[in-house]
Amino acid sequence: MTLPIVVIGLSHKTAPVEVRERFASGTDVLPEILARLTARAEIDEAMFLSTCNRVEVVGLPKFTGSFEEATLSASHAIRDTLREHIGAPSVEELGSYLYERTGEHAVRHVFRVAASLESMVLGEPQILGQVKDAYDAAVAAGALRSHLSRCVSRAFTVAKRVRTETQLGAGTVSISSVAVDLAKRIFGDLRDRTVLLVGAGEMAEAAAKSLGQQAKGIRICNRSFERAANLATQFNATAAPIEQLESELVLSDVVVASTSSKTFVITRDLVKRVMKQRKGRTLFFIDIAVPRNVDPEIHERIDNAYVYDVDDLQHEVAENMKSRLQEVAAAEKIVEGEVLQWLQWARSRNVSPTIVALRAKTKGVLLAELERSLGSRLKHLGEADRAALVQMIESATNKLLHAPTTRLKQAAGESSGTDLVRAAQVLFELPSVPPPDLLQPTIPPPPEASPPPVIAAPGLPSPVVEESEERLSPP
Amino acid sequence: MNETVADGLFYLTASAYVAASVLFLRFLARGKGDVGALGPRLVALGAVLHAAHIVVASLVLHVCPVEGIHFPMSVASMSMCVAYLFARQRFNIEVAGAFVAPLALTSLFASRFVGAAEPSVRVKSAILPFHVTTNLFGVALFTLASSAAALYLIQEHLLKKKRIDGMFRRLPPLDVLDRAEHRLLLAGFPLLTIGIITGTLWARRVEMGSPSDVLRAVLGYVTWLVIAAVLFLRSAAGWRGRRAAYGTITGFGFAVVILVFYLLRSPAPGTVTAMYP
Repeated sequence: MTLPIVVIGLSHKTAPVEVRERFASGTDVLPEILARLTARAEIDEAMFLSTCNRVEVVGLPKFTGSFEEATLSASHAIRDTLREHIGAPSVEELGSYLYERTGEHAVRHVFRVAASLESMVLGEPQILGQVKDAYDAAVAAGALRSHLSRCVSRAFTVAKRVRTETQLGAGTVSISSVAVDLAKRIFGDLRDRTVLLVGAGEMAEAAAKSLGQQAKGIRICNRSFERAANLATQFNATAAPIEQLESELVLSDVVVASTSSKTFVITRDLVKRVMKQRKGRTLFFIDIAVPRNVDPEIHERIDNAYVYDVDDLQHEVAENMKSRLQEVAAAEKIVEGEVLQWLQWARSRNVSPTIVALRAKTKGVLLAELERSLGSRLKHLGEADRAALVQMIESATNKLLHAPTTRLKQAAGESSGTDLVRAAQVLFELPSVPPPDLLQPTIPPPPEASPPPVIAAPGLPSPVVEESEERLSPP
Repeated sequence: MNETVADGLFYLTASAYVAASVLFLRFLARGKGDVGALGPRLVALGAVLHAAHIVVASLVLHVCPVEGIHFPMSVASMSMCVAYLFARQRFNIEVAGAFVAPLALTSLFASRFVGAAEPSVRVKSAILPFHVTTNLFGVALFTLASSAAALYLIQEHLLKKKRIDGMFRRLPPLDVLDRAEHRLLLAGFPLLTIGIITGTLWARRVEMGSPSDVLRAVLGYVTWLVIAAVLFLRSAAGWRGRRAAYGTITGFGFAVVILVFYLLRSPAPGTVTAMYP
């Protein structure tokens, strides 16, 4: 019994950078995408997360029947919105790159992403900020309101616990610092090297932090000079407008590009001119932007110029991961504990309406009887006595419903909860609340994590929605 | 007795170079072993034994170590090892031992076993020892520069192919290799220049009869010109990195051809009669 949350997306594990950059979106277009998602009749709430390595939609379907139907409809809607987003002619074109998670596994996925268990660099801290940004954007756009919002908020708590209770983030290694390490393997010592940051966003800030203590100097070149100047103040760097990019490249040795430009900011012709002015001195580009900022042909065609994008850093990332893998088990234990708690909450959420309805009905019947008596035989009673009788009915309701309420709440976390809810609804003629199919447990565990064993509810059909880490074809 | 000592030192030197070569190449190819301390120590041991061998062998044969080609070649390879030991820490190029040790070994064997059956008649000259000495130190530095250039080309290839694990991690940083190559070339170039000038002066005193003599002289000038061009183009036109490395290795190739010419036309050490008793 859980919420039919759906996650559909693509990451560095399923799609190369050429594909990811087609999906990537800056903060400026987020409201538009979110509006498109929530405008769909099949989607109730949605969040759009776009990072260098991951683009995904987290959605909560509208209840349109069974869990399966709601999930399937939302999945179609999300895929279709993604197709529109990149202007692809058909959903099939995307299918091989997209992964899909539903229900409990979607919740687990959201928690794992926030906790940096799904990041290219295990334990890197940027992802939490990026999820928070996506959350803020979705809240601001009115796309996150209640249950999905609660799920993502819970993911922040999970991430915080993982960071403080394990060593997963120890010796913080991000893509930026991995890139710095590669720069050191090219130049040896960075103390006599100048680093140019093209872009002044979060990734540029991370790069500035990594390089700040090691490089001779940092220069920042950005389309918005004001933003470059602000960042430069923080890191004792030199800011320059984007118009001076060529002269800045001549002065620099390591270039970290992280702008949100949709086209190449650093072109082959530009670097050709720059290399002439540099008299062939080595120039190393670290392109951590998606879409890429640096023309990859520079690497192929120009001597002494090297371009590495986020995918190229995979090798380095893999090395760093080795030392962090020991902490994965502890982090996953936290995630699993939190997923269980979430499931309990989600299940109790499905029981609560029945309890509320039961209380309302019981109290309503008793109060109606009391009102009738007060209008005839007990007409002589004063205000104080009438109030005492109302109080008595309140107490009687509480005492009468204490045992069934407790039983229902206890059963909420178990498979028997479904039967009890149904029984209560039938026996007391209560209005039907969340469709019974929603109360089904789901599905086999994803390969990268070991979820707690899920016991199928007796008498209920087998899990209905398949999901896995594998690439899924579009439905 | 002295001959036995000279032979013993020769084989001990060769053993040290063989051990160093195996250690370095194994590390370079497979990443096995730690060359950080042992590799340079084996090269140092080889250089010490090599020096001892040169001294003893020159006394046994009554040959000045800078006369002819065999002894100078041996001295050059020993000098290259010494230069490597100094340069490895300054430039962080420990792994260049993977080239230095095998080259020293090859040079050691060539200086003993390769040579003409009969000695050729040469003209004695005071310039000759000076010419040979400057050339051999120049060649030692030049060889080291070429080793750095070769490592650069490997490293650059790996970087361009984006194979940044394995061997890439075992090699020194790219720019460090480029800088080491340039500085070693700069250090060796004046010596080679003096060698060319003294060689020209000496050549005027001998009859350049055979085509191999002429070819050798031409190759000598070409070598010098190639190195001069590498240095000039680097500062004037920004020929760094791969182009400079190819230029350095090309120049080194010419130098090797000259040495081979010398070796093939000179008598092996065993047949040499002392010209400077």
